[in-house]
Amino acid sequence: MKRYLLYRLALLLPTLFGVLTLVFLFIHLTPGDPVDIMLGETASAADRQELRQILGLNQPLSQQYRSFLINFLRGDLGQSLYEGRTVAALVTERYPATLELALCAMSAALLISFPLAIWSAVRRGRWTDRATLMFSLLGLSMPNFWLGPLVMIIFSIQLGWLPVSGRGGPDHLVLPALTLGLGMTALLIRILRTNLLRVMGEDYVQTARAKGLSERSVWLKHMLRNALLSLVTIASLQFGSLLAGSLITETIFSWPGIGRLTMQAIEMRDYPLVQGCVLMISLSYVFLNFITDLIYRWVDPRITYGN
Amino acid sequence: MPRSLYVFSFALALTFLAAACRSTHTDHAPNYLVAAIESYPLQLDPRYATDANGVRIGNLIYNSLLRADPNSQLRPELAESLRLLDDRTYAVDLRQDVTFQNGQPLTAADVKFTYESILDSNNRSPKRGNLKPLRAIEQTGAYQLRFHLVAPHAPFIEQLTLGIVPASSPANPGLSTQAPPGSGPFMLEAAEPGEQITLRRNPHYWEHEPPLGGVIFRMIPDALVRVLEFKKGNIDLMQNDIEPDMVPWLKKNTAADVGAYPGTTFQYIGINLTHPILQNVKVRRALAYAIDRESLVRHILKGIGTVAGGVLSPLNWAYEENIEPWPYDPERAKQLLDEAGFPDPDGDGPLPRFRLSFKTTNIDLRRRIAEAIKEQLQKVGIELDVRSYEWAAFYSDIKKGNFHLYSLAWVGILDPDILFQIFHSSSFPPAGDNRGHYSNPEVDHLLEQGRATNNQQERKQIYAKAQKLLAQDLPYVPLWWWKNVIVKKPTVQNFIPYPDGEMISLKQTRWAANAQ
Repeated sequence: MKRYLLYRLALLLPTLFGVLTLVFLFIHLTPGDPVDIMLGETASAADRQELRQILGLNQPLSQQYRSFLINFLRGDLGQSLYEGRTVAALVTERYPATLELALCAMSAALLISFPLAIWSAVRRGRWTDRATLMFSLLGLSMPNFWLGPLVMIIFSIQLGWLPVSGRGGPDHLVLPALTLGLGMTALLIRILRTNLLRVMGEDYVQTARAKGLSERSVWLKHMLRNALLSLVTIASLQFGSLLAGSLITETIFSWPGIGRLTMQAIEMRDYPLVQGCVLMISLSYVFLNFITDLIYRWVDPRITYGN
Repeated sequence: MPRSLYVFSFALALTFLAAACRSTHTDHAPNYLVAAIESYPLQLDPRYATDANGVRIGNLIYNSLLRADPNSQLRPELAESLRLLDDRTYAVDLRQDVTFQNGQPLTAADVKFTYESILDSNNRSPKRGNLKPLRAIEQTGAYQLRFHLVAPHAPFIEQLTLGIVPASSPANPGLSTQAPPGSGPFMLEAAEPGEQITLRRNPHYWEHEPPLGGVIFRMIPDALVRVLEFKKGNIDLMQNDIEPDMVPWLKKNTAADVGAYPGTTFQYIGINLTHPILQNVKVRRALAYAIDRESLVRHILKGIGTVAGGVLSPLNWAYEENIEPWPYDPERAKQLLDEAGFPDPDGDGPLPRFRLSFKTTNIDLRRRIAEAIKEQLQKVGIELDVRSYEWAAFYSDIKKGNFHLYSLAWVGILDPDILFQIFHSSSFPPAGDNRGHYSNPEVDHLLEQGRATNNQQERKQIYAKAQKLLAQDLPYVPLWWWKNVIVKKPTVQNFIPYPDGEMISLKQTRWAANAQ
């Protein structure tokens, strides 16, 4: 296990290197100039040139890339071009909001999808099964930019139960988490139900029943566990995209997360901030992948990471 | 139950606990007014703020020597008097009863510092370019100063609307969280980046104590959500940033007090005059005849605009009123295009006379406007290829002159000298913003005269001639002046609309007696 950990850590470096290089190239090669946006309409050509020099933007791209990498290795992500604060401060300030929302959306999705999928598989073909499938079809087809305002109008305006937008107490979390989680819930229901139906006819399930295990035990210990493997993959991928911050949901709910920060940085061509945001997002992906591997091992003990 | 599940539940519980501990935004001190804004200000420090919200909120914190009134006339604020000693020297006497929010008196040293701090290239102020005509600033007494200009330059007076910060305020402080104190009616209480900015009343404000306890600017990026928050009662005031489509809904479904007031923001179509087809003035006039501004304003803008004839708004002192907007006349447009040598190859058939690209930003409303213009031009046989871009890419293309036609707006124009920067032949990029490469020696001469003359009556006559020439040459096709839409609770009183969208009247805004 220790060797595996070291191996994963060693793998982290080339991954991050690749991500940072790609982002650096993409953002620098996209048309748009931060100096134009910073200095506005009235600046003279000389002022622009001067600022370009101060920011190091007049150097050849390879030179800029080198100093970026050197600073990165020193642990310095630089300063935001506009806000005059360090990228690290800005990113760590926004990330908790995204993490909070992602955790809630994910747990809502898991808490709803598990019982519904099991129920639906147990009572296959009956109306409850059909209703669940219908629900998941709806959940998959509703885009967030539509679902968000819809739940807002129902739960905040009509019923007056919950706040409309903004980040605040736990009640502020409900609607954005629901909006983000619904699509995922629908997907997880479909996958888990299909998997359960697939393992239902397996020999080991017959054996378990034949040796007199209780139905509950058969479902939880034998069927569910075997149905989980691909579910873990999908769920972790989905969770990863949640950790990257959902631009649409964050915008609709005025949620100050990393998604909106990234978007704003891209719009303003705030090069250091874009790089910082993407670094944070890719780090969370890498970390999540690692956790997923650990969960695989628990779900299926035959998987080993020894060699 | 596996251990990881416990860990997960624990993390979840912590998340909820953390969320529960945070105060909710609706809990604010009474007598505060909540205003919704679309984007979070990047800077509040007047030496750096250039984004609309940064400037507007900053103007509540900082005073300036002069300030525009609700009729766009510059009036003394910190200046007690302003005299022109000769054609290039301004003498200013400051009020002596003004203190900063930290208790320090505001003196000539602070004014001198503020301007010099911008001029210092190490401080990277975006406003340095505006102060180019300034040669030196001289302190002649504790409350007296002189501005020495390089040459006579009438529009310099607009630079006296710059907010004043205390001497030795650090340069480039970064976001609002550390903005230096000002002398204005409100002071910064809290800044939560990406969420909201809270201002508290300055109880020692030199004019009078503001009736409101404070103002909270809540950032709500989505237009629909701003309206829903208003409906829910969480927002007291919104200015602009409202989708025209939502105005009728607001009037019908809320008790909102909705008003549209004349504004100065000027929407136009910019034209590339180096393009072989567009350099023909008949083609440009045909474009002006072929666009039905009235119907665009009525149907897409829902009346939140006034059809424009010339480039300067009727609220500007230099506005020339004898310029009629181009009427909608597609037949005349077709005739002009025929005369210009671009006959329609197949009459009413599908083939166009010629094709042009039309660049715009990817904001939904802008795209709809572009599509409507495309349809109108199609009727006279001009095929438009509408291309929408996100802002930075769009702006970069426009600055490089990489366009046939584009649509953009002028915001916050006070002095007609803007015409120099846009239409003088020495203003071709990168020196200025004459992106369409318009050049007319007569206009050049008038614009040079206009900035070198200090007498406003003379300037008005000079700019009247320039506006008439521009209306004939059409380097821009004028579309409309946007109106400012103000949506507020009926209990919010004394909020006065300003043509450029300033919110400075919040200093006298109060709640109706029966509210709160």
